[in-house]
Amino acid sequence: MSGFLHYFLSAISPSELLGFSRDLPELMTSAFMPWWLMYVLPIVLWFFLAVGCWLVYLVKPAVIRPPLLARGPQPEPFVSVVIAGRNESASIGEAIRAALLCGYANLEVIFVDDCSDDDSVVVARRAARSVTRYGSDAHRVRIFASPRRNGKASTLNIGIRMARGEFIAIIDADSTIQYGAMQHWLLQFSDPRVGAVAANVRVLNSTASLLTRLQEIEYAMQFTVGRLATARLGILPIIPGPGGLFRGEIVRRLGGFDTGLGDDTDMTMKLRKQRWKLGMSVDAVVWTIVPVTPRHLWRQRMRWERNMVKIRLSKHRDQFVLGRYGSANAIVALQLLIIRLAFPWAAVTGLFFFSFAYGPLSVPRLLKAYYWVYLAFLLIKMLIARDIAGTPQPNHFWLLFVFPFYRLFLRVPVMYGQFCELIRIGAKHPYVPDHIWQEIPWW
Amino acid sequence: MTTIKTQAAGLAAAADERRLDLLGRIAEAGGKVTPNANPQAQHGYEHLAPCDGDEGDLLLLARRDYLEQRFFDRVSLCPKCGSHHLNVREICPGCRGAHLANEGLLHHFRCGYVGRQSEFATAGDGDGSRVCPKCNRRLHHVGTEYDRLGKVFVCLECGVITENPPVEAACLACGARNLAEDLVSTDVFSYVLTSLGFAAVRRGSLLDTDDELLFVSGAPVYRSTVILEFLNQEVKRIHHFKNGFSVLLAKCAREATDNRDGALLPPWLPRLRQCLREVDLIGQLADAVFVVILPQTDKRAAEVLRQRVLAEIGPQLQLTLSAIEITEPRHLAQVLAHRSGLSEPR
Repeated sequence: MSGFLHYFLSAISPSELLGFSRDLPELMTSAFMPWWLMYVLPIVLWFFLAVGCWLVYLVKPAVIRPPLLARGPQPEPFVSVVIAGRNESASIGEAIRAALLCGYANLEVIFVDDCSDDDSVVVARRAARSVTRYGSDAHRVRIFASPRRNGKASTLNIGIRMARGEFIAIIDADSTIQYGAMQHWLLQFSDPRVGAVAANVRVLNSTASLLTRLQEIEYAMQFTVGRLATARLGILPIIPGPGGLFRGEIVRRLGGFDTGLGDDTDMTMKLRKQRWKLGMSVDAVVWTIVPVTPRHLWRQRMRWERNMVKIRLSKHRDQFVLGRYGSANAIVALQLLIIRLAFPWAAVTGLFFFSFAYGPLSVPRLLKAYYWVYLAFLLIKMLIARDIAGTPQPNHFWLLFVFPFYRLFLRVPVMYGQFCELIRIGAKHPYVPDHIWQEIPWW
Repeated sequence: MTTIKTQAAGLAAAADERRLDLLGRIAEAGGKVTPNANPQAQHGYEHLAPCDGDEGDLLLLARRDYLEQRFFDRVSLCPKCGSHHLNVREICPGCRGAHLANEGLLHHFRCGYVGRQSEFATAGDGDGSRVCPKCNRRLHHVGTEYDRLGKVFVCLECGVITENPPVEAACLACGARNLAEDLVSTDVFSYVLTSLGFAAVRRGSLLDTDDELLFVSGAPVYRSTVILEFLNQEVKRIHHFKNGFSVLLAKCAREATDNRDGALLPPWLPRLRQCLREVDLIGQLADAVFVVILPQTDKRAAEVLRQRVLAEIGPQLQLTLSAIEITEPRHLAQVLAHRSGLSEPR
């Protein structure tokens, strides 16, 4: 026993861990397929899009970050910013003020309160009064207090029904639009094939805790650069809930959002199926508040993952009929199956495989090698994100070393969420009220 | 020059005569005149008999304390032409048209569709169910399948839905369209004869040169306008010299006052005066509320004085006497609250 312990400790000792240089070249020069398929390929797939995006940015920055054009004689389109919220008194005032003061005059804000227990409506009215003048300007903000709790999708639908804008921006009640963002957000709609544009969602409370700092890095790499690259390739998988701008006529024609969870994913899927182009604007910055504690982050990620299974695998399973919705949608479907589902599970399976096939100590050796490979890619991707989007902050770069552990930590709720949803454990989420849940046919 | 002066004096005397006559008529009518609605009047109201068309005189007499103004109504006027002939209605925040309908908003739980009641067509088989325009399913039961989100205003011209539409007033006289909050509003008052007005009627002359302009008839008590002016002066002194003053606030039951020339004065007032210094001023804030200004007096000294006054006057069930030190202008608001009867003295 003591011999095994000694051997085990020597395998995970810092000196052994730092000796990755021995293992890595060995693995990289080998034809060992599990290593290539389960570990190298996902990283490369995750990585090469960002590099491609960056190369385009170096050669022709205007392709990635189109500059604002001089305004022509035509008037600015009217935009309705729809905010749905429940018990958001802490943040709704700032969200309304930021929307009204975002530097775009031809805009209205509609806040629909989902029967809050707190004073969200009072705070919203106060915020509206603090910014708008009396007279016609006061009607730039409309506030509707729903008499019954109906869930986010239905609450958004009330706002959409009241919106009169040519474009409808959907933001969360804890999100704020950055000054000047709206002009950039609208820019891509000059292409009539574009149906919706995702905002560049950034972390507002990044200095609140270590977790929020790590989330800032994650948002920069995954949401900013990742979405930018996929949008350029026409395979953007989501218009995010905290910041999405839609053509009003499309949303109205679709009858708004469907009830239940994952409203943003669902709407994106509907738009994709109708072959609308989806864009992403780096300069349309929307700041959002992210979970501060591990518990909240865990719950958020579980909810995201369960929604993904609910919406993409269950409700919109017809997307997997290859060719039905075009090649771009087929790639999105494959990306979902391979990157989000197969690879994580294959990685875990691989750990067991290596453990059984090559002994338990092969796993730490493998992980340490993987850690350093991942770190190298991560550094490059962070530099790319910093160059293109100015995020993450340079003083957070040292978190690079911790970031793989953060991702590992997130794997647990993500895979647990997928597992539970696939075998239908606790499918009902408290975000959806009972009377709505009982009527939802999708799952 | 002399002729002009003589003519001016004659005109002034004639105006005084007319105003005195107006006071007399008001006294005969019970001491109070109330405005009557009249669409042809400038602001929609006018004072009929006994003071036909004497609006200017009523205002002047109120300003000179012969009459007391009491709020009667508020009239909204066109900011452009001043007319009160306004067509007030809700308008669409989008197209500013007035073609609005008040309609229920329905929410279908199953598909989340939210729309006007008229969009949910009634099913043809006569069972009263509706059909969702989004998913084409039948809606039978309110509360379990669908719900009413309340009533909203729908613009029948451009389709905009709003819960609180803006209110606009179109002037029927000049055609100007203004939002309700941009209208000019003016207050209409009824007028009540004051003690000064009664005294003027009794004496047959306006009392502009008499002490009665300052004091409540025959008593060493300043009228409310005068004592308020003194209070304001004291507050200004606080600003400059940073030392406060105190007031004694006396409130008694109305029935405990003595009606003298229309003025309500309590019988203990002379004895109160005896307890005070020469520099202290007594004034009447309201019918049964009196204030004593105690210059350069702190709370402790005012409290001593209050005890002394109570001892002098003896037990008076109807009297409440309190001492308030005023060191900041905001303290004055406490005193003025008693004037309008907002709170009881401690």
